[in-house]
Amino acid sequence: MKNYVWLFAPALIVLLFIGLVPIFPLVNFSVQKPYAEINEFVGLSHFKKMYSDARWINAIQRTIILALIVLSIEIPLGLILAYFLHRPGLLNAIASAAIVMPALFPYVSIGLMWRLMCSTVGPVGRFLNIFGINYNISIDASQAFATIIVMDVWHWTSITFLILSAAFAAMDPTPILAARTEGATRWQIFRYIQLPNLAFPLLFAILLRLIDVLKIFDEVYVLTSGGPGFNTEFVTQYIRNVALEQWNFGYGSALSLTYLLIIILLCITIMNIMTRGRGVLR
Amino acid sequence: MSLVNAKRFLAIIAVAIIAVVFIFPIYFTVVTSLSGKAYISQGSLIPDFYLGNWRDLFTLERWVRAIRNSLIIAAGCVGLGLILCIPAAYVFARIKFGGDRHFFFWLLTNRMAPPVALSIPYLIMFKSIGIWDTHYGAVLAYMVFNIPIGIWLLASFIITIPKEIDYAAFLDGYSLWMYFRKILLPALKPGISVTAFFIWMYSWNEMFMASVITSANAKTLTAELLTTVGRLGWGIEYGVAAAGAIITLVPGLVLLYWARRVLIKGFTFGRL
Repeated sequence: MKNYVWLFAPALIVLLFIGLVPIFPLVNFSVQKPYAEINEFVGLSHFKKMYSDARWINAIQRTIILALIVLSIEIPLGLILAYFLHRPGLLNAIASAAIVMPALFPYVSIGLMWRLMCSTVGPVGRFLNIFGINYNISIDASQAFATIIVMDVWHWTSITFLILSAAFAAMDPTPILAARTEGATRWQIFRYIQLPNLAFPLLFAILLRLIDVLKIFDEVYVLTSGGPGFNTEFVTQYIRNVALEQWNFGYGSALSLTYLLIIILLCITIMNIMTRGRGVLR
Repeated sequence: MSLVNAKRFLAIIAVAIIAVVFIFPIYFTVVTSLSGKAYISQGSLIPDFYLGNWRDLFTLERWVRAIRNSLIIAAGCVGLGLILCIPAAYVFARIKFGGDRHFFFWLLTNRMAPPVALSIPYLIMFKSIGIWDTHYGAVLAYMVFNIPIGIWLLASFIITIPKEIDYAAFLDGYSLWMYFRKILLPALKPGISVTAFFIWMYSWNEMFMASVITSANAKTLTAELLTTVGRLGWGIEYGVAAAGAIITLVPGLVLLYWARRVLIKGFTFGRL
């Protein structure tokens, strides 16, 4: 069987071409002057510039804050919903279908939906007006940020819910039944039998959401375009602005490389935590 | 008995609230897609059943082309993705080799890489080899996240197929091709469905790379939506964009229905 390793070759060749080869032009551009035709070597000056680039630092901080807030809402909420809705039944099926529905839309459609919802005549503003709140995300930065959080929770609680529902459903019912006959409370069953079994799915959901929320762009761009001002500008949007709107490939590549490195380091850390238990694949 | 009824009643109320909260934004988008331009700006919760937006979506050249491009690219990704990933996943699941853990991690970093970091080099690479703004280019670019997810999913399904079957097949003199066709592929059907579902969803939903590496010929539906609403202010064709946003849901719903039984396995990755 050993001689079948070559079966890996086609996938590997494609992946090398689109996964590894692009890193070289990225490194190449990151040490050069803005425009590709000038080709002037500028060393590490792009990387030094990053330290004093307030817009970049703000975008990074904002993205981390968003990730922390969004994860600390979505993971518990998904867990609670999965706990109550994982058993079969018509009501549970209806609720599950409704929760999963947003996950089937592309980000850009989600952004459009919330743009319609949150426009000056949209239902969100009208609803909040009843409580005397003047809602306008193109003026109020904190309202815009809060709306992005609500939008992301609405869109992606589903994935935590799905992963955890599947884990609940796949659990061996015998220990739970045994504990129940011994007189254990619901909380004790959850805390000492179900929760330990959810450790891997929980970490998986956290990793998946973390990676995606760090890449957030489409729906925010459609909803607020990063505004008001730059108050909802996240990392991807800033890099896109530098590279593809100001056409500053040099600085844009340097920012991209740095961001790539941050994400990979973060993932190595989380993967190490994950693999200590059971191993990702084997 | 009345206690049971009260509990049931509370459960129905809770489910109704959950359903309304999660469905309402979708409902409001449907309303917008069924409303005329002047009527939209009133923000009504009931449509005036103006069908022009939907007619535009299925007759205007740019929308029709965008829908067709998205379908071609997503289907191409599923096809190419499965052809590349099934043999690779087989190697991963069955054969141990030195440094395979590190290799596997490198595989996953491709899934983690922010699209903005890859789009800049892609723009230059694809233009220089002449596949910029083509279906080939988009399919190729999407492989960067489809191959890792495909290999990971398929390998986790292949592990659950007993190794003894392989030995028996090869002892019986099966060629590699015969083994794949007669034994592995039939046993792997659920895994293939799950993988096809995820590859389709990721490719159909992708927008950032599409907006950079496609322009006129191969522009996808998501990129077209961005062009339509990607700036602030009114005076934008919200009605037809809303109809386009609703259309983006359709393939996902169809696939979800088709693969609903095996998908639950996908979410436990065949092993929990």
